Amino acid sequence: MCFKNLPIEFDENGKAYLKAGVANPYDYKSTSLADNEDKIRELLARNGHIKDVDFDPVTRVAGALAFHSVVDLKERKVLSTNSMATLFRGYEVILKGRDPRDAAFISSRACGVCGGVHSATAAMAMEMAFPVRPPPLGIVIRNMLLSMEFLYDHPLHLFLLAGPDYSEAIIKQTNPEIWERAQRTPAPGANAHNYGTIGAIMTDLNPLTGGLYLEALHMTRVAREAYVVIGAKYPHPETIIPGGMMTTVSLTVMNEYFVRLQKFFDYSRKVVAIWDDIVDFFYDVDSRYRQVGARPANMIDVGIWDDPEAYDATYANANAWGERRWATPGAIVNGEVVTTKLQNLNIGIEEFVEHSYYEGWDGHRFKTDPSGAPLSPHHMWNKETKPRPTSQSWKERYTWATSPRWDRMAMEAECTARLWNTAAGGVFPHKRLIEPTGKSLRMTVPRAAMPESEIEWHIPADWNAFERNRGRAYCIPYTAMVAMDNWILAMDMLKKGQTQVHTPFEPPKSGVQIGVGYWGAGRGYLTHHAIIEDGALANYQILTPSTWNASPKDPWGTPGPYEEAVLNTPILETFSGPEDYKGIDILRTIRSFDPCMPCTTHIHVDGSPLCVTREVNTCACGVD
Amino acid sequence: MRTLIAGVGYSNLRDLSLGPILTIQLAAMDWPVNIEVDDLSFGPIAVVQRFQTQAEPYQRVILFSAVSRGHAPGTVTTYLWEHKLPPPEEIQARIGEAVTGVVGLDNLLIIGEHFGIWPEAVIVIEVEPTDEGEDGWGAGFSPAVAKAVDDVLATVRRVALGRDDPVGRLTEVA
Repeated sequence: MCFKNLPIEFDENGKAYLKAGVANPYDYKSTSLADNEDKIRELLARNGHIKDVDFDPVTRVAGALAFHSVVDLKERKVLSTNSMATLFRGYEVILKGRDPRDAAFISSRACGVCGGVHSATAAMAMEMAFPVRPPPLGIVIRNMLLSMEFLYDHPLHLFLLAGPDYSEAIIKQTNPEIWERAQRTPAPGANAHNYGTIGAIMTDLNPLTGGLYLEALHMTRVAREAYVVIGAKYPHPETIIPGGMMTTVSLTVMNEYFVRLQKFFDYSRKVVAIWDDIVDFFYDVDSRYRQVGARPANMIDVGIWDDPEAYDATYANANAWGERRWATPGAIVNGEVVTTKLQNLNIGIEEFVEHSYYEGWDGHRFKTDPSGAPLSPHHMWNKETKPRPTSQSWKERYTWATSPRWDRMAMEAECTARLWNTAAGGVFPHKRLIEPTGKSLRMTVPRAAMPESEIEWHIPADWNAFERNRGRAYCIPYTAMVAMDNWILAMDMLKKGQTQVHTPFEPPKSGVQIGVGYWGAGRGYLTHHAIIEDGALANYQILTPSTWNASPKDPWGTPGPYEEAVLNTPILETFSGPEDYKGIDILRTIRSFDPCMPCTTHIHVDGSPLCVTREVNTCACGVD
Repeated sequence: MRTLIAGVGYSNLRDLSLGPILTIQLAAMDWPVNIEVDDLSFGPIAVVQRFQTQAEPYQRVILFSAVSRGHAPGTVTTYLWEHKLPPPEEIQARIGEAVTGVVGLDNLLIIGEHFGIWPEAVIVIEVEPTDEGEDGWGAGFSPAVAKAVDDVLATVRRVALGRDDPVGRLTEVA
């Protein structure tokens, strides 16, 4: 039984049904945010040491994110938080009415880093709807391509976006006592990364000039080069289509890919040693750093990297092929994996808009999924996107993000959830280079300039900003080993003459078809839910990791993951007054999620005057 | 003198797509062997990395793009890049936006300068776009920018082929 809040139960065959005797199973009563907000305003008015602290925009994140907090600088705690996605992303509106074959190419534009994963997720949604099953080599090549997208993304997060928060340049300003100590603290991982002290690592984390910053920029090139060998271009590949891939895979392609993949073997060893040392050092300095960005380990991930023999693109078999993935799908509640079944993940998801700039919707077109399991009216197959910008109010609506919930809980989308589900899910089948132990994930990284070695990620006792970054670092060897395993499979297929990468298909021209693509961005969870009607997309819903993480409060007043994690963050920065308070602990928390707030979208129909533009004033000053 | 002529901008943003669109027109023209035409709209970091690995550096770069500077729509401005950098925080922010997908003339100039890829002679030709709000998206140019296109093409050719002083007198052309 994986649902505690939704009235869904399972029969002896594992088939989900709605609990009997519940009159309106998906009804709920909204909780007003006004009382709490009034109390906060009162505290602000009465106490000089309680301040509004706004980060608008939050820098070193992709896209437009603003964050409002109320901080008690005397007690060093955060009293109130609001996460604001400040721009409208209207791909759901753009895709409506389009040829379903366009979805992979258009939705790719949702992100300037991870366009390929949107292409793949869209292609998979179409594969389910059409239906069409890609050939094994098409699946393996897709795995290889999108592994490289992550190997672009992970270093970028660790050293260009989040990394500078742990650099000499920042720490000298925010916690000079920690910098003093770092300079005389030996680095335990010196054998892997060659830095004698923690201080030396921090110096090389400096933005613009630090060796790790510059090396990460270089590694993004290595990953990009391998990526375009298969994808033709980055960040919006041309070769991912429903039914597989449209590229010719030769030994030359395989070789060009491998020489670049190999560069990530030693880099993996180095990066995990660096982040182990940084994280453990901070815990040693002050155990309260374990509370920075802390929240319950409630996470959701739909898994990635399909088994070429198992993936058949059907919803009926999604539980089976999902559990054969190189990253196990799963929901984690308070640190425990409660399901690894894609259908259970799917039917538990709802999206709410009470505190977002959207109108609600009344319809409940799909009361069940294709297997007959119950679906909420707030599920993405029932959701409609109706943008309605209004004035900002912490009591009412304050963001373009929505509030996705699984089993009515605020779940975090995290790449570490991949490690966690795979380590503890108990279903992982591909054990050539990756070995789950139930509590950890062991990876055998082959020899490069350094000898073969084992890297082991352990499920952390605390879930916080530091562990998010540590997990991200371990995702580099994990991703590289998945790529390696798939490269070996692809070589075997080529040797056997299995060169087909695409299955031809005819898109449906009439009737209603539905599909869902389950994949992940570098930072975690990604789904596309599609409805095709008479050959055109009738509804399209994209749910990204940052939609989960940046979510505002839900109808019950539960904060979203950024909001909750910042609320739990102690203020450990050294400052003498509000004038020199920089908010580093809050920023470390927010950036540990790797926020990505994709570009605003303007909808234009060529040859017509139709254009929809949505703007919102992001300034939080004077908002009530 | 090895010269690169390059447009910068996004596609399908009307006036703001002037860079990529005119690159196609310029590439179709006849040029001496020492002059290359390319589209540098593939991301500043990738541009830096390409320049860093070139066997033979460019001695002159001519960049053109539509950039909103508050001039009258269609105004063509030509200037020499002064190789001045903003504060480190801004450079860092520009790199951050570049690696997450933002493409623009200013971030290309700044990031290129920070990483030292530019030759001494970088000539920039900018056009003031008209489009604001509801007219700003899709194919084609606004009337003011459409009128300026010939001017931009002629300016690029004149500067590239040395029929104009490439350094001293590059001020407002139209």
